[in-house]
Amino acid sequence: MIDEQVDEVLKRVSRTAQEVEPTLLKRVADSIHSSLQPVRPLPPTWVLTGALVLICAAVAVAGAARTGFYGIEKLTVLERLLIFTTLGILAWVVGREFVAELIPGSRHRLSPGALLTIASVALLAVFALLFRNYRTEHFVSAGIACLVTGLLLAIPAALLSWLLMRRGFAVNSVSAGLVGGALAGLCGVTMLELHCANFQALHVLVWHTAVVSVSAAAGALLGWALREVA
Amino acid sequence: MARYQAGDFPAATALIQRIGPQLHRFFLAQFSSRADADDLLQETWLRIHRVRHTYRPGEPVLPWFYAIARRVRIDHFRRASRTTARERSLEEAPDVAVTFPREEGELDDLEALLAPLSESQREVIRMMKVAGMSLEEVARATSSSVGSVKQKVHRAYRNLREQMSALGLKKGPSGGLP
Repeated sequence: MIDEQVDEVLKRVSRTAQEVEPTLLKRVADSIHSSLQPVRPLPPTWVLTGALVLICAAVAVAGAARTGFYGIEKLTVLERLLIFTTLGILAWVVGREFVAELIPGSRHRLSPGALLTIASVALLAVFALLFRNYRTEHFVSAGIACLVTGLLLAIPAALLSWLLMRRGFAVNSVSAGLVGGALAGLCGVTMLELHCANFQALHVLVWHTAVVSVSAAAGALLGWALREVA
Repeated sequence: MARYQAGDFPAATALIQRIGPQLHRFFLAQFSSRADADDLLQETWLRIHRVRHTYRPGEPVLPWFYAIARRVRIDHFRRASRTTARERSLEEAPDVAVTFPREEGELDDLEALLAPLSESQREVIRMMKVAGMSLEEVARATSSSVGSVKQKVHRAYRNLREQMSALGLKKGPSGGLP
């Protein structure tokens, strides 16, 4: 048996669909009649994505302005270019996916898990390429300070992103939470790159990159909790 | 859809008449009785109505409807599972998988044919063969990639080929299952 024959059988049997009661369809139409007001469709994906990236950039710069631009001052031009270009591209890709998560029927190029993996691997690769100081002074204490600072900054970024996308509708709140959390985490990492002058490779590789994963996990957990409450 | 968003009631009614039966069949096919499918259709339209601004003109419309319908179905399944679990724990009944019995005569030829497939494979076949959606549209509706949908369709067809060959279905005069 070949695929065309399978198609033919499927076509034949799918014609036996049962009819829907016309009264049911009328009831559905009547139920929406009273609240049928004109609505404004959401803006195009690129507009929303651009706004999300701007929010992240603004929050990161505001955070660094408050804590000091010590990191970017010590970076060379090449390091600045490579780090912030990578962060910008990742923020665009993750932001676009976040918009897709909040608009039903959108095209998804990557699963949330794959997206998080790619973002983490890309950051690890850039940091591994640029930072070669393998000393580990105050590894845990300095690391936790950076992780907490990054995560604290991810909170306003996540809140502002949610405010922008509040008219959206998540078909999968866990995935939406994970992607939104990853985006907020990227904002936290951007602020750390502007602020943190600790260029020890392991510090940057472990603690700075962890902001994205921890923030994404927190977002997924929040999405799961909201789903359970609903 | 654009006229529905603009508040045009006849357009909304026409949309319900056109899409309603497809969504009803989508629910009926999965796990519910006819009464459940009726309830789910109403609930889905209320949800569609509430989030109708999330549809952007120019985008494919069927994936948008089906994505919302899938969400309603999952919510319903979760609620039903929780209720069943609670009732079972109260009655101290033995641990048995949650099932939703169908009413007599609800299982049609298509569902009988698709029964051996996994739920995700059945879902993509229904969307493609009953709703007439393309691979791209099914991918959008199920929030997955086109490659993943292609893989499911390929596996589903392989299973169906084997099943139909075993049943000699192709040669059946009525096209129905023996």
